[in-house]
Amino acid sequence: MGEQRITLNVNGRDYDISIEPDMVLADVLREKLDLTGTKVSCREGECGACTILMDGKACLSCLTLAVQAQGKKIVTIEGLAEKGQLHPIQKAFINHGAIQCGYCTPGMIMSAKALLDENPNPTPDEVKTALSGNLCRCTGYVKIVDAVMAAADDMKRGENK
Amino acid sequence: MAYSLKSFEYFEPSTIEEATRLLSTYQPKAKVIAAGVDLISRMRHRKIEPQYVVSLMNIPGLTDIENDEESLRFGSMTTLMSLELLLKGDKTYAALYEAIHNLSSVQVKNTATLVGNLCVATPASDMSSALCALNAKLKIAGTSGERIVPIDEFYLDVGKTVLQPDEIVTQVIVPRPGSHSGNAFYNLLRVKCDVAKVNVSVSLTLDNDRCQEVRIALGAVAPTIVRAKQAEEKLLKSNPFDEKAIVEAAQTASTEVKPITDIRSTAEYRQEMVKVLVKRALEKAWTRARE
Repeated sequence: MGEQRITLNVNGRDYDISIEPDMVLADVLREKLDLTGTKVSCREGECGACTILMDGKACLSCLTLAVQAQGKKIVTIEGLAEKGQLHPIQKAFINHGAIQCGYCTPGMIMSAKALLDENPNPTPDEVKTALSGNLCRCTGYVKIVDAVMAAADDMKRGENK
Repeated sequence: MAYSLKSFEYFEPSTIEEATRLLSTYQPKAKVIAAGVDLISRMRHRKIEPQYVVSLMNIPGLTDIENDEESLRFGSMTTLMSLELLLKGDKTYAALYEAIHNLSSVQVKNTATLVGNLCVATPASDMSSALCALNAKLKIAGTSGERIVPIDEFYLDVGKTVLQPDEIVTQVIVPRPGSHSGNAFYNLLRVKCDVAKVNVSVSLTLDNDRCQEVRIALGAVAPTIVRAKQAEEKLLKSNPFDEKAIVEAAQTASTEVKPITDIRSTAEYRQEMVKVLVKRALEKAWTRARE
């Protein structure tokens, strides 16, 4: 039915692209913008692998039409590192062994980022609730929750090792 | 499952009138999209294949929420999360808060709209159940004007509502329960994020030791949300309204519904759980009404 020109603001940069309106945001990020950090797994809203931030809130990019993401500030996993330094949540995931195959990790980290931006002092239960829409089939969740709690501490101390 | 969606033409009208006109022009091949959480999933499964998709995204006012002495009113683009945050810690609309709080993941609630959930018309909708107990009404706009439909009369069958092809739900109106009122919601799930095997919502108003008003809504026990009207009648007649009356009403509710056996549960178990959950919900609502 024809392509449509849209502008997406991703990680602080405006991308003018031409897409079919039937493309979901996850596919546009991966295939049009080459931002393949965002993963796609179930395409059903069950697994959370495709989680990105839209206007600061954790959202599912596989169940969002890219045309409907116009005008929103989108942040993907590629947008977290600054000046070549990983974000404290990314560091904490590595340091706590909260990664095995890594496929769920970008989504987990984006959900954790949304939580910590809103609530810098979460309890482990609040972390679990915030990550309840993100499934991991490798590690279990103990190390992931540990990593988010540690990242919260790091961010409060302003450490950026 | 298919990877991509079938192509369609996309419209982003900026007024309700324009949206209803588009729906009218392109019916029956047009669909409304709010956040798209359910629509995109069903389109991917090829359960629906609209050739025209009309987005409500750019219509001003549809995310407005008003909460005053008269009612709680919210537009059809209001997300589940914004309602959950609004209602947190307020027992006035406890059943609605509990239904939203129990539902799905953060990501889904951040984008999915409550009205989207209503319009899917699943018999297990926790939102429909809570809003039915709370006697909510839906404001509906179409090419020939506006109408207001009580949620009791909104559903026709599984996946079917009274919405005409050119109509859009624009607002939900939940009348504010008066004094000596209480409401509560319970559902039964295998794990969080599951679709309910059964859900129960109750809203009641006390007049000293009598029950002056009561609404019991049950989900996942019939093709649509249903009221347990025989149980309600018993409660209204009970004198005094007490624990014994609640136990009897719960028993009545479980025998007046005729659920089916499906992938999520059996008819027998659903009936038994209606009894348990109606009792719990009535007790909770009763406690709240006396607080």
